Formats: sequence, structure tokens, C-alpha cells
Amino acid sequence: MARWLAQLRAALRSIVRSRGAERDLDEEMQHHLDLEIEERRKAGLSPEAARYAALRAMGAIEKSKEECRDERRGLLVREFLRDLRYAGRALRRSPGFAMLAVAIMAVGIGANTAVFSVVNGVLLKSLPYPGADQIVVLRTAALTTGQINPLVALANFSDWRAQSSSFDAMATYRGGEAPVTPGDTAEFARLSNVDVQLFRVLRIDPIVGRTFTADDANPDSEQPVALISHGYWQSRYAGDPGILQRTIRVGSGLRHIVGVMPPGFQFPNRTDVWTPQTNRTASRTSHSFLAVARIKPNVSLETAQAELNAIAARLAQQYPDSNKGRGVSAVRLQDEMVGNVRLTLYLMWGAVGLVLLIACANTATLLLGKAAARTREIAVRTALGASRRRIIRQLVTESLLLAVVAGGLGIALAHAGTRVLVALAPADVVRVTDTAIHGDVLAFTIAVSVLTSVLFGLVPALHASKIDLVDAIKSGGSRAVAGGGAIRMRAILVVGEIALAVVLLTGAGLLVKSLVALQNVELGFRPENVLVMKATGVRSLPENNMFFGRLLPQVAALPGVLAVGATSIPPGDLALSGDGAYFIDRVPEVRDRNLEPHALFTIVTPGAFGALGIPLKRGRDFDEGDTEDRPLVAIVNEALVRQSLGGQDAIGRSIFCSWDRKDAMTIVGVVGDARQRSPGLDPVPDCYMPYRQHAYNNNTLNVVARTDGDPMALAATVRRAAAEIAPDVPVSFTTMDATTSKRTEEPRFRALLFVVFAGIAVCLAIAGVYGVVGHVVQQRTREIGLRMALGASQADVLRMILGRGVILATLGGVLGLIAAAGATRFLETTLFEVKPLDVQVYLGVAVLLGVVSLLASYFPARRAAALDPLRVLKTD
Amino acid sequence: MSKPTDLVQGTLDLLILKILALERMHGWAIAQRIRQMSGDVLQVGQSALYPALHKLERQGWITSEWDISDTNRRAKYYALTRSGRKAVAEEAANWERLSAAISTIVRAV
Repeated sequence: MARWLAQLRAALRSIVRSRGAERDLDEEMQHHLDLEIEERRKAGLSPEAARYAALRAMGAIEKSKEECRDERRGLLVREFLRDLRYAGRALRRSPGFAMLAVAIMAVGIGANTAVFSVVNGVLLKSLPYPGADQIVVLRTAALTTGQINPLVALANFSDWRAQSSSFDAMATYRGGEAPVTPGDTAEFARLSNVDVQLFRVLRIDPIVGRTFTADDANPDSEQPVALISHGYWQSRYAGDPGILQRTIRVGSGLRHIVGVMPPGFQFPNRTDVWTPQTNRTASRTSHSFLAVARIKPNVSLETAQAELNAIAARLAQQYPDSNKGRGVSAVRLQDEMVGNVRLTLYLMWGAVGLVLLIACANTATLLLGKAAARTREIAVRTALGASRRRIIRQLVTESLLLAVVAGGLGIALAHAGTRVLVALAPADVVRVTDTAIHGDVLAFTIAVSVLTSVLFGLVPALHASKIDLVDAIKSGGSRAVAGGGAIRMRAILVVGEIALAVVLLTGAGLLVKSLVALQNVELGFRPENVLVMKATGVRSLPENNMFFGRLLPQVAALPGVLAVGATSIPPGDLALSGDGAYFIDRVPEVRDRNLEPHALFTIVTPGAFGALGIPLKRGRDFDEGDTEDRPLVAIVNEALVRQSLGGQDAIGRSIFCSWDRKDAMTIVGVVGDARQRSPGLDPVPDCYMPYRQHAYNNNTLNVVARTDGDPMALAATVRRAAAEIAPDVPVSFTTMDATTSKRTEEPRFRALLFVVFAGIAVCLAIAGVYGVVGHVVQQRTREIGLRMALGASQADVLRMILGRGVILATLGGVLGLIAAAGATRFLETTLFEVKPLDVQVYLGVAVLLGVVSLLASYFPARRAAALDPLRVLKTD
Repeated sequence: MSKPTDLVQGTLDLLILKILALERMHGWAIAQRIRQMSGDVLQVGQSALYPALHKLERQGWITSEWDISDTNRRAKYYALTRSGRKAVAEEAANWERLSAAISTIVRAV
């Protein structure tokens, strides 16, 4: 053990030929010399003579120093260093090859590591809560259809909690942007109203103060309280150590801050302010809360689920009106959070895996080409007495050097790539911003490249043993020997590369076509040049209504504003609330109120349809006369008419919506269908209601103003106007283009990734084709010269060589298209209005592939055709 | 000056180890000691000595450290390690066997 350590230390010290070691050596030799001189002087020689004699006796000091250095390094290290020097020299001799090989491997390593690091950061890393795998999300399930509603009804949840024994803690929560006033100015913050048990479910303790207690849940509490996030503490209270004496205004109520949560903790959904849930209205029909629970350590998810099933069955018996056919579904929080983005991440992974394969194949073809070119060099070295082992080691060192350089570059690429991915990816895909480079995968990809490069770097060495030396040296070049086999192997690899590239290219084609379809879909509204201002009234309903009632005409009067209105659901908003069952011409019994069909309920002001660009098809728009004391009215869209009225006239019919008011409304108008929530989702039945008749939810409205120019240019003016009317109303601005395109971010990201990876793949494959065809030309120069001498025209030669390229491309293309037909099935759910077997896309890929591979073979073919037969035959 | 007697490959290592088994020593002193003990028969030049020392050190049989010598100068002292001590015994035994075998043949013929 100790000996090993000593050896290692000595070897290491010698590799880094440190100044210390050199000085030691000098001093040691000097010491020896001094003693030699001294001895001779004692024997009676003069200083001069003694020195001279000593030097002569000692012999070549520098030579022994070098031997000492060698001895210190040890044999293996010594030979390795020599190999490394040779390898460096060999690679410098063909810089083009070296750079290409390094670049290809680096791209493979870098892209793979970057993508995997992101995938790992999102998919595989567990949530930052202690015992995170015990945390589950509870959701309402429709037992007959199997449909899952992420929201739960509070009364049901209370029963689950009271009757179950599988859980340590259970909590409901809901949240969103809400008006808060941390100091003097009102603003929107992400606020969550949470059950006091939430922090027990997550097992997170505050860094300052306390979390909520059971007392905080008392609705009549004298001292309403709030918790804030670490970030909010820093940014809004400047990290004030006396934070527990400070207050925050949430809505219209002042709250005491009782605690600050640790940095990074913002559950749910980037929350900055938490308030305790006091709402105890026990409804079984209003599903409006999300729920999480912590399973006891020794209880399995299955046991917990079984217990919940039993409770739900009891509740269904007890309250058939509301709970018949309703169950509970528990899934791990980790799975739930990752659910939607998993597909995107797996696709990413698949794509980049293909790129790595292609990169390896390409490195292999490069090395094989190189091998053929080096046959002669190796033959000469063998003839001069180099052992086969020696040559193999030399070649392996070269491959290793390539792989190591590529690895270094790959790490740099991976770093940059991770950052780019995180920046480009929609917020929903990469929730975790800390996606550090993943060590394991970096090691894996580097190992793959090293293996590829070593394996194929060895080919020439293995050939070397079979080479007929005389022949190889005489043939004067890279021709003849080892050629045929290497070309065949390269050709197979290139066909594989093309096939893989075609798979990626097809995927990219499908995603791009789908994206184009998505961009061009009939939205039903016009998002261009529309300013969206979110505002939340914080006072009583009449005052809030007055705010919007006064603001809208002022905005309408601004120069450049074409139309203005306000809506509770700005297009692109995926908020979970706001839909429910509706009934035409009857007021249903309570038990029916959860039945289908469902519609999306939107509160709008007069003029909103005009500003949104939703066409009024029949009847009238709302007007300022539709007030609280007037008969209730509603406007529906054509989808609702189609679904429930079978094309009959809707005007004058009555509609009941199981929402905030228990009265029927008269339908006064029909508007066109709009893809309000997302361009990718088909329009659903919509029921619009005038803002003055509905208290619920309309203290938050989004003012939409259609302008004739850049809408954001108006933001400052509108903000001033709003502040003049009510300075305590928080406002925030965006454009409808932005909110709408947010919903296409994910498909755009997927398409972009595939295009980039397909691009890389095609470039690599083309380089492969070029390399192989070039190799063929080089190999057959003599034959071509002979053919030309015998009367073949340039066109014949061109055709012959191009033919090689075409064969490669056709084989690879056909294989690739077949593979793509199988593989693109995985894309099906991500495609919009495009089938995985879209003929256009497949044709396009085939044509593109044909063109580029012809181009790639054209250059070597032209070189062949331009050969001078006389010179070729003479020189050989 | 006569050419120093060539040492059989590997013998120098044994001699060095053997000498160092008595006490730690610097390079020049080792050479001197070998010469004295062999009655001036064996003369080890620096060109053979130092590479051997460095090799033994790399093999982990000896270690080195700088110290002040009797003549009050900085010198590099070599000493046996634990594995070096084991090696001395083995090498010595090998040598005994070898030289005995050679002597037998030499005497017999």
C-alpha cells in the first residue's frame, strides 16, 4: 500500500517535471561533484586539476540526469509521454481531420450532456422537500369516465382528512396573482391561500418566525397573519431583521407577517405571500381547491389510495346528489409536477441520443478513412521493427488524445448548451433553473466517444498485422491495401447515419408543419396590437365597477386606441377556475349541477368583443344598461349553440350556469367561437356575462385595448389614468400577442430542438457521404484514369461516382423513412392537425436528402472527372 | 585508469539496498562505501549510481530527504523503506542462490 503510494507520488512528481525536482537533481549532482573534487584535493592535486579530474571521472552528467528523470517516470509513463508526443505530431500533420473529429465528438458529448442535465434537473431530481416521495396530490376523479379534475371540493376534503389514517398531514390550497401592498404601492404578488397543515405536508420550517397554527384558521381572528418568501423579504422589505413587526396589506385587509420561508421555497407556483385558509363554507359541488397530503412513512401509496376509495364510496352513499360517481385519485407530487413536460423531455432525449449515435458513427468513418490513408506509414514502421503492440498503443494514444480534447470542448459546449436550453425552454418545461451539468452523463458520453474513437482508431493497427509489407510500401500511398474493407465499413456506417438523420429530419418536419398549422389556426379573435392591462379592484363591488366604468371611456378616448373593453379571461389564460355546467331553458336541481355539458364562463364589459376581435354573429353586445338591477342577460358562442340548441335560434332562450348566481339569464347575443385558452385547444362552448351583473371574480378584470400601433407604447398613459382614478388598484401590462404565443412556446421549443438536432444530424451524415465518396475516388484514381484512357467520357466518370453517393443516400433514406414511420408515433400527441405519417413531410425529407447527398457526392465526383488520365497512369 | 568492473544487471540495486540497510546515506557516500567494502574492486560511477537510486525510489524501496551532512552541507540522504527492507532479504537470498550456482559450475569445470 505504502509502496504504491510512494510510487504514485514519484511518478506524478516526475510527469510534472517540477522545478523543485530539477533543482534537487542539480543539487545532488553538484554535491557529488564537490565531494569528488575535495577528495582529489586531499590527495594533493591543485584546485584546477582536481576539478578537471573529477569531471572526467564522473563522465556525462547531463546524460545521467536524463536517465534519472527517466527512472523516476517509470517505463509506462515514459512510453506514454513519448506516444503522446507522437500523437500530437501526427494530429498536427492532418489538422483538418483532427479538428473535424474533435468537433464532431464535442458536439455529441456537449449536446447529450446538456440535454440530459436538463432532463435530469426536471425529471429525475426529487423535489426539495424532506421525504418528497411521501407527498401526494389528491384529485377528484369521475369514476365512470376516468376523468381527473385536479380540484377538490372542500367539504369532501374535510371528510377525507377526518376519516383517513394513512396520512400525516393533508392540506388544500389555491392561489394566483393578487393585489398586495407591502409598503406604500399596490402591486400584484403571487399569493396562496393555504390550509394551515400545508407546511407540515411539505415539512418546511420558516427561517424567521413561525408558520401557521390552528388559531390562524379562525375566520374571526383578531390578528390576520401572512407568511412571505425569502425573495419577497429581501426585495420588498430589504431583508429587515425586524420583519415580524411589519405588516402587509393583502386585498383590503392588513396582515401581520409572522414568518419568512427559507430561500427557494415558493410552493405552490412561485408563491411570495401565504395566507391561512379560513374559508369553511363546506361545499361538495364547488371544486376550487388543490390538495396535497403526506403519506405516513410506513404506508404505501396503494394502501392510502385504497383507504381514500373506501371513504369516497361512503361519501357517495351518504351524499348521492353531489358525490355519486366521484372518487379520489392520489398521485405522487413529483409525478404530477412533471406530468405534462415529461413527453417533451423524453423527445429531447431521444433526439439527442440519435445525434450521439450519428456522431459516433461519423467519428468511426473518419477514423476508418484515416486508417486507410495510414496503411503505408504503419507498414513502414512495422518494417523498421516496431512491434504490433507498440503500434497499437501509438494509435490508441492518438484516439485517446482526440477523445480527450473533444471531451474538454464537449464540457464547454455542455455548459453553454445547458444555459441556452434553460433560457429557451418555456417556463413550464424547465421549472428548475439550477440544472447543473450532470457528472454521470458527462462521464458516460465521454466514455462512449472514447470507446468509439479507440475502437475505430485500432482498425489500422489490426490491419497492420495482415498487411503485405512490400506491397504496401511499394504501392506508394493509401490505395490498394485495407481499402476495400474500410470503404465497405464506412459505407455501412454512413448508411446508418443517413437513416438516423432521416428519422430526426422527419420528426423535425412534422413538428414544424404542426407548428405552422398552430400559428395559422383560426383563433376566433385577433391578438395583434392589443394591450392587456390586468387590474384588481380592492374595494367594494360598486367601487370596483366604477373604476372600470370610468377607466374604459378614458382609454377609449386616447389617440391610437381603436376599441376597448375588459374580460375576466384574457386569451391564453389557462386558469383552472371559470368553467362549469350549464342548462338551457331550465333551472336544474342541485344534484344535476355537476352534469355535462360544460361551458367556459367569462365576465366581460361592453365593448370587449370589439376589442378582442370576436365577431358578434347575432343579437346585441352588452351595454352599460345591463346592470345588477336589470334582468340577467348572457351572450353565448356558436359552439354552445351547436352543442345544445342544434342550430335553433338562441336569442331569447334562457340559460342557467352553475356558477355565482342562482337565476337564469336571457341570451341576448351570439358571438363567434374563440380559442380562448390556447390556440392548440378546440374552441369550447362559451357563456359570456356582463360585469355589472356578476360579483364573483370581477374585481379582477383585464382591460383589452386594440391599438393602431405598438400597444405597449400606451402602457404608461393607461397606468397614469388608472392611478388617477384609484391609486390603490394594482395594475400590470402585457400584450395579447404575448399571452397567446405563450401557449405555443412548448411546441415551438420542441420544433426548434428537433430542427437544430436534425440540422446537426444532416450535416454529419452529409460529411459522411462526402468522406466516403471522396475515399472511393481516391481509391479508384488509377481505375478511373484507365477507364478514361480507354474512352470513358467525363460525364461517364461523373455518373459513376455520383452513383455511389446515390446508392448510399437511397439505402439510408429508405431505411430512415421506414424507421421514421415507426418512431414518429411517439410524436402523435404533440402534433396539431398533422398526422405522424404526413405524406408531404416524408416526401420533403426524401427530396431534401436526395439533393444534399447529390451535392455532397458532386464535389469528389467532379474531382474524379477532372483527372488527367495520362498523368494518373504515369505517376502510378 | 582502469575501467570499473561491470556489475551484473540488478546487482547494483542489491548493493545499494544492502548498504542502506545499515544506515541512511547520500549518493557519494554510497559509492565510497561500495568501493571500500569491495576492497576497491567495485567502483560505481555516478552515471550508474544515480539512475539506480532514482529507480529504487520510484519503486518505493527507498526514500530520500535533504539534510545537513557531516561536512556541513546540504545533501540528499537515502534510506530504506519498510518494503525496501523486505526486498533486501529477498534479493540477497536470490543472490546467494545465483552466486552459489555459478560457483558450483565454475569450480566443477
